[in-house]
Amino acid sequence: MIELFEVTKRFGSEAAVDGISLRVEKGQLCALVGTSGCGKSTTLRMINRLIEHSEGEIHIDGQPVRRFKEETLRRRIGYAIQSTGLFPHWTVERNIGLVPRLLKWPRDRIQARVEELMSLLGLPMESFADKYPNQLSGGQAQRVGVARALAADPDILLMDEPFGALDPITRETLQFELRDLQSRLHKTIVFVTHDMDEALRLADHLVVMRAGRIVQQGAPLELLRDPIDAFVESLLGGEDRGLKEAALTPVSHRMLPLGPHPIAQARIHRDASLHQALAVMFREHVDRLTVVDVEDMPVGELTLRCLVGVHRGEPGA
Amino acid sequence: MRRPNVVLLALMLAALVGWLGLESVNVAANRIVLGTGFRAHQVVGWPGALVSCLPLVTVAILVRRATRVRLCWALVLVVLMLMAMPAWLAIAADRLVDPSLPQSRLGIGPANWLLLFLLLLSLIELRVRLALSRWAAWWLLLPVLAAWWLALAFWLEPLALLREYRGRSDPFQTAILVHLSLVGAAVGISLVVGVLLALAMRRHAGIQRLVFSVLNIVQTMPSLALFGLLLAPLAWLAANVDWIAALGISGIGWAPALLALVGYSLLPMVRNTFVALSEVDAGVIDSARGMGMSHRQVFLQVRLPLALPVMLEGVRITTVQAIGLTAVAALIGAGGLGTFIFQGLGQAAMDLVLLGALPILFLALVADTLLGVLASRLDHRRDAGVPQ
Repeated sequence: MIELFEVTKRFGSEAAVDGISLRVEKGQLCALVGTSGCGKSTTLRMINRLIEHSEGEIHIDGQPVRRFKEETLRRRIGYAIQSTGLFPHWTVERNIGLVPRLLKWPRDRIQARVEELMSLLGLPMESFADKYPNQLSGGQAQRVGVARALAADPDILLMDEPFGALDPITRETLQFELRDLQSRLHKTIVFVTHDMDEALRLADHLVVMRAGRIVQQGAPLELLRDPIDAFVESLLGGEDRGLKEAALTPVSHRMLPLGPHPIAQARIHRDASLHQALAVMFREHVDRLTVVDVEDMPVGELTLRCLVGVHRGEPGA
Repeated sequence: MRRPNVVLLALMLAALVGWLGLESVNVAANRIVLGTGFRAHQVVGWPGALVSCLPLVTVAILVRRATRVRLCWALVLVVLMLMAMPAWLAIAADRLVDPSLPQSRLGIGPANWLLLFLLLLSLIELRVRLALSRWAAWWLLLPVLAAWWLALAFWLEPLALLREYRGRSDPFQTAILVHLSLVGAAVGISLVVGVLLALAMRRHAGIQRLVFSVLNIVQTMPSLALFGLLLAPLAWLAANVDWIAALGISGIGWAPALLALVGYSLLPMVRNTFVALSEVDAGVIDSARGMGMSHRQVFLQVRLPLALPVMLEGVRITTVQAIGLTAVAALIGAGGLGTFIFQGLGQAAMDLVLLGALPILFLALVADTLLGVLASRLDHRRDAGVPQ
């Protein structure tokens, strides 16, 4: 658990971060979003004391971060950044084993941990262990960066625009992998990004920042339904935010039981998003879809009316 | 690859013209009188001279279509020509030098120097085109060096250069030793001082400005002037402080030479070290700190190893520069290979000048290659395994 109480950071007379309070529950992924220079990276870097805060208190698991020695604190917090920060003169294997080595783990435990992480992140040991970072693609390098951040099994992970430099397809793949990873590992993650879609896709808790202050925070759906002001609304996509909400809601939340009438030709998977369902309706020129499960068996149906929520209040199947 | 290699073609044509048009060797009755020049056809007659052109013509024909195989053959021919040059000199000595005159000697003429120069350029061009490593180039030069050594040891008795060496083999060895010691000491001292200065400069911006402006002034002073400037204070010190005199320090000799050499070496050393340490990717340093490495660990395990190739580049520049500058140090009595150059200039004996200049050239090339190879070995920013 990470807590910030009225934290301020001044560079000279200018406040980069101005009295923010924030609480990230254990196992939650908290995304800090905002335009460049809004203080989101500074906030992140104050948690592992790469930047010292000027006022207020930062606690992890109930203890102020200043109570730890800097190095001790950082070794128990994973850290991944946009440029990966991999050491170009070290092999992938050595890079991943960095923090365990700093913590003086025995050699075979490090070896076993590195192997475990590499397979977890889809980097086969035999083809990647001895490579140098400049021999990797952007996506592979970022996977190694994440593996390195996870190496000593920290409870907390700080990620500063980790996927910002990747092409859209690789970025999306890594986002899904991170979400998948998070559903298994339940780390407490603070994730900085300026990509709102990425934040919506990943976050349990969304924090919108502007000029060093928090403008609004809450669950992504709350913000989408009820943005506090025009700034948050435009950041969330303006008129498009309905579609973003649809993208976050699975079909199974709105589908109806199979009715007595013949089933519709067009199909949609129950785990697909309403956004995708809408796209299928638009493409097929229909207003009714058959919802199917993994085995392609019909389990319900989705009409345009219930997709858009005319039937809100009726229980989902 | 199908197009002609214009560079090699031009080099070969220039070599051809030079070989036939310029004097290949000259013969003098003793070391002072001006020699008589002989062109290739005056040495072996026109048929022989034309035959001697054949390898050049063949290379020129080969590179008209620059496929890899043809370039390899061109490389073989260039190396063979370099090996054949001492044999040519031996033939010329046999035909032109009168054995009854013990002082008469054979000088290497402009045609031969030009040919040597152009063939070495071709070698570099071929090395680049065939993507060979620096090491490979030196392996290729090995048979060439062996051929020259054999010829010098057994067949080139009348060669003027060799005559000059024979008279001075002991001073020559001492000179090389002194030269290398001065260079080694200057590079060693400036490396230690340079690294310390660079570290101090990273702490304080004030020191950085001061050091760079002082070193820039030193660098712009002509070397002889700097040697001269050090003469007076060192002579005064030696006259007034006993232990300094006891160390063998005086106004002339090795002490002012070494001081000046260190002064010149510091700028490239400090600049490269400073830039190398400062330009390590900020993201790498940030993540190293973020992972929980201490300042010491960041410096020793990340910053220093990543800066090392650029620092070595500084050592390389400094070493090559010091090898050249030490020649001038001979003027203030520091010894070294420069002694022969200035003696030769004084006596108008060009071959004695060459006896000093050629080893300096050779030392500089060897130092350049060795340190260059070392730096590229340490550089992991490049793909490992791809020859540089």
